Amino acid sequence: MSRLEIEGLCKGWDFPVIDRLDLTVEEGEFFVIVGPSGIGKTTLLRLVAGLERPDAGRIKVGGRDLTDLPPYRRKVAMTFESYALYPHLTVFENIASPLRARRLPKSRITETVVSVAQLLRIEQLLSRRPGEISGGQKQRTALGRTLVAQPDVFLLDEPISHLDAKIRHELRLQFHTLEELRKVATLYVTHDYAEALSLGDRIGVMGAGGLLQVGTAREIFQQPQHLFVAQHLGQPSINVVPAALSSVDGALQFAAEGAELKLPVAEPHGQALAGRSSERITVGIRPQHVKVIRDGEVTTDTTGGAAVVDATVAIYEALGANGILVAETGGVRLTALTAPDAVFQHGEAVRLALRNDAFLYFDAASGRNVMVA
Amino acid sequence: MSKANYRLVKFLFLALMGLWLLITLFPFYWQIITAFKSAAETNRTIPTFWPEVWHPQNFVSVFAEASNFDALVDSFIIATGNTLASLLLGTLAGYAFARFPRQAGGENLAFWVLSNRMFPPVAVVLPMFFLFDATPWGTDSHLSLIILYLVFNMPLATWLMMVFFRDTPRELEEAAYLDGYTPLRAFFKVTLPLVLPGMISVAMLCWIFAWNEYLFANLLVGTDVRTFTIVIPTFTHGSQTLWNLQMAFSLIAMLPPVILFILLRRYMVRGLSLGVVKG
Repeated sequence: MSRLEIEGLCKGWDFPVIDRLDLTVEEGEFFVIVGPSGIGKTTLLRLVAGLERPDAGRIKVGGRDLTDLPPYRRKVAMTFESYALYPHLTVFENIASPLRARRLPKSRITETVVSVAQLLRIEQLLSRRPGEISGGQKQRTALGRTLVAQPDVFLLDEPISHLDAKIRHELRLQFHTLEELRKVATLYVTHDYAEALSLGDRIGVMGAGGLLQVGTAREIFQQPQHLFVAQHLGQPSINVVPAALSSVDGALQFAAEGAELKLPVAEPHGQALAGRSSERITVGIRPQHVKVIRDGEVTTDTTGGAAVVDATVAIYEALGANGILVAETGGVRLTALTAPDAVFQHGEAVRLALRNDAFLYFDAASGRNVMVA
Repeated sequence: MSKANYRLVKFLFLALMGLWLLITLFPFYWQIITAFKSAAETNRTIPTFWPEVWHPQNFVSVFAEASNFDALVDSFIIATGNTLASLLLGTLAGYAFARFPRQAGGENLAFWVLSNRMFPPVAVVLPMFFLFDATPWGTDSHLSLIILYLVFNMPLATWLMMVFFRDTPRELEEAAYLDGYTPLRAFFKVTLPLVLPGMISVAMLCWIFAWNEYLFANLLVGTDVRTFTIVIPTFTHGSQTLWNLQMAFSLIAMLPPVILFILLRRYMVRGLSLGVVKG
């Protein structure tokens, strides 16, 4: 019914922003697009909404071609990053706006608005104006305005990015439970990878020009097809080590460029990298795959052939739920996640157990994951 | 600062303010007392600062000639007609300049429109006279002044409305499109209510200019149509200027703008500060 299909979409101004983008969002699917700011995420939403005209390509909803229709004939609802609430109208009138546009009878409008307001827990604010409510309440009002429209496609542009952490999490949970959003195709844009991993049935990571990878949260996080994808997901972000591969006595190893760090390539990767010995390669090491071992501590857990190296503590941040440690080893700085109760001193000698079976290898030139054919 | 010093500064400040008030209010005071004097008293070599005998009947005498009241009506028709036309054209043009700058001719055209306001009007008085003389309705009509004042008021209205529209986020209109409103309905639902305070202050500025205008009115109209500004100098008796009647009539003519301002001052202040403070 309301499957969203985007085919060969192009849009640019002085430079191309979206270059031949293809995407299908199924009915009932919650699709999240994640990417850095200024990459064209909002432009993509505005193209689907009809606020911008594409240079090429088609946009279809439920098989109906919308490309040449103006926004008010598309049955597409969108929340704006700025919320775009009408400042001169009350919360009630803001939410009622799409219903008034259709000239529905008064009683229907009141009924619908009140039920949506109850769902979003803003029914006590209906007579206020946008200037008199908080950011989280504005967000709910903007969401209410899109929900009453009962569109074929929901477009949500960074809906919770500008709220404080607590409300952001609360609203994120609410997105999980909103039935209305699960009935039609939803395109949700964010720069926050945690939001994306939490909410998306599928996630598209957007880089320059278009989508670099589309998949479930697990696929995107564990098998990033591109260095850009790996770098964008995860907090703290992945360690990136430019290195050169070499074969020593038949065993493959890599040496960090301009540093002394040398590490063996683990078994599962050996085969894929075998053809690339003596080539340059970019190694990605997730901080959670770097385990910090104190001096004198017995290495109890060396899950699956971890390589152990000596290191010096450079920076330590204790963040309550966990700690982030930056350690230097052989001229390379690596970030590690630590237990919450650990305390490290600057300059302290530690050892790092590196789960090299979980390393990611990217082509130095193209940035493509060499493990994913 | 010591307490004594603080008091001195405060006293000097208040004294200065009092002096300023005295200077600005004196003409107004003089106008009021003159309006109540007899003609003989206004012509004394040594002026009186308070009427010896009060002549409130001056306010009736100014209407001895019935057409004098018609002049106020004519002024009202011209000022209101011109204001509506300026507002309509200025709002449309301002919206175009704000939202479609390239299609509407760009910043240069917008500035050229405004620069018309800076042109010294006296320079075109004669050409204007011949221009309107050639029209079917001639010079001596409401329409001639309504159109002529557009030369001054429409650029002002266009420019100010452009600024007000620019300060209205485009996203609000886009949100309305997505709610299902056509561009025209979105304009009336969202954009117009937001610039309404601005429109009201623009209307007041236009109306007051057209109401007070003398030079072109004096040249173009005078027989079929007369504005109050050209009636005021007609209060004479032989070679004697009837100051008392002139002042009484101008006091009456001051009332409409003053009342208008009092009624709309809330919007006026909001409108004039619209571009200053965002949000």
